[in-house]
Amino acid sequence: MNTSPTVDDLLAGLIVAISDDILPNVANAKAAATAMMMQAVLQSVRQVLPVYHANITDEHNQMTRTLRETADVLGGAIGPEADRIRARAAELGARADLPAPPDQAATMAAHRTLSEALWDTIADLDVLQRAGDHRADAALQVVRGHLGPRYMRDVATVVVGAGMLGRG
Amino acid sequence: MHEQLAAFVLRSLPGARDVEIIEFAPIPGGFSRETYRFDARVGFDDREEVLPFILRKDPPKEAAILHTSRAVEHHLIEAIRQHTSVPVSRSYGFELDPAAFGEAAMLIERMHGSGQTSNLFNGGPDEHQVDDVIRHLCEVLVALHEADIAALDPHGALADPRGVGVDASSWDTYMDTTLQYYIDSAPDMAFDPTMMLMLDAALTLRRTKPRPMPLSLVHGDFNPANFLYADGRVTALIDWENSRIGDPREDLGWMTTMDILSNTSVMAHPRDEGGFLAYYNRLRGTDITMEEVDYFTLFGTYNVAVPVNSAITRRVRGEHQQFLHLYLIQASAPTIPNLARMLNYPGVPG
Repeated sequence: MNTSPTVDDLLAGLIVAISDDILPNVANAKAAATAMMMQAVLQSVRQVLPVYHANITDEHNQMTRTLRETADVLGGAIGPEADRIRARAAELGARADLPAPPDQAATMAAHRTLSEALWDTIADLDVLQRAGDHRADAALQVVRGHLGPRYMRDVATVVVGAGMLGRG
Repeated sequence: MHEQLAAFVLRSLPGARDVEIIEFAPIPGGFSRETYRFDARVGFDDREEVLPFILRKDPPKEAAILHTSRAVEHHLIEAIRQHTSVPVSRSYGFELDPAAFGEAAMLIERMHGSGQTSNLFNGGPDEHQVDDVIRHLCEVLVALHEADIAALDPHGALADPRGVGVDASSWDTYMDTTLQYYIDSAPDMAFDPTMMLMLDAALTLRRTKPRPMPLSLVHGDFNPANFLYADGRVTALIDWENSRIGDPREDLGWMTTMDILSNTSVMAHPRDEGGFLAYYNRLRGTDITMEEVDYFTLFGTYNVAVPVNSAITRRVRGEHQQFLHLYLIQASAPTIPNLARMLNYPGVPG
């Protein structure tokens, strides 16, 4: 996957395009309001995405503790409701904490460093290939063997529909 | 705008004494230029005519994908009209002073014919015409490739129109200097390091040059969106801004790529001739192989990818805010498997 532009770059680009390319050409007031609502939703998605998995994980771990503490405070209360609360605490509250997701920015930076290393490797291999070292041909196929399936997966992930929009 | 446009039409049409602009509207598509259609009611001394026009205008410089000259494009179109049978729109003139339209612009005839070429494919309403249209398209391309370079480019403006050090004095120098331009451009066009496929492509192209072929004028953006058609014939080959002296196989290769990106199948027609390449070979008496088309699919794709990806890089760096460039990242992705296949990437279906 690309690390640039980021998903956030794409969302920010959509917000700008709605302002620059859509809104000036919208004559209908309701449509203009809808376009501005779209911008607000997109901005909200920009704000949610960086923290989404960290917050979901954190909330999961807090909820297990909450279920346990609720049952503890309830103590020996009797009745089917109290029994169900203790059962939830015993089953769901006993779940192990989920591990915190890795920092997205750090992951992308590490990915980028390795991609740049492969870039430089392809350039170095070309020098060896042109010098007639056939081991470099085989070595290049190793790099290509990594990239081929990766590109196929990327294309399957990002492509929308068939054909370029806005042309004949 | 209308006032400036009327003045432009007036000075481009000898004998015109007054001009009224009517039905001015932008045309979607055409990713590199801003294009508008309009009619002009033109008064001459002895008559009045309503003439159909296209205004092609450069986008703002920071957002431009191709930095090309409207003057060069004008002179080329007029030379093609004069010296070949290739159907083209008449170019009436150009305006390089940005004071008139904000950027340089040119005025061309709006030809009859449909530009909705996707209607020829995939069960579209004009699919019954596809073999006839593509047969003629192939004949048009052959006429272009066999035209006298000296007649079409008398001043050498198309030998290195980007000014990047291409030497078209022979096939070998053309290939060597163009490939060096590609390799030197790789860092600028890599908006992301995953574009290392393109670096690999340029280096591989340099290591595996095919047999030579006489250079010709190439269209440079020969793709399924750059022709008009009517009644089974091509009425105009359009968008000449990337034309240059080059290897004619580049046009075949770029069409192969754009068939994939456009979800069309130009290269499979005319079917009764065994497809575009077979018919092209028969018309020219050549024996261009699929392997050579593959080579020039990479080569021709690279030629367009350099300016397109460089413009995307500028967008990613925040040098401009055009949305089109972000769209092009995912819109151009379907060509990656084909490029990887031609480079023999393991794990990519053949």
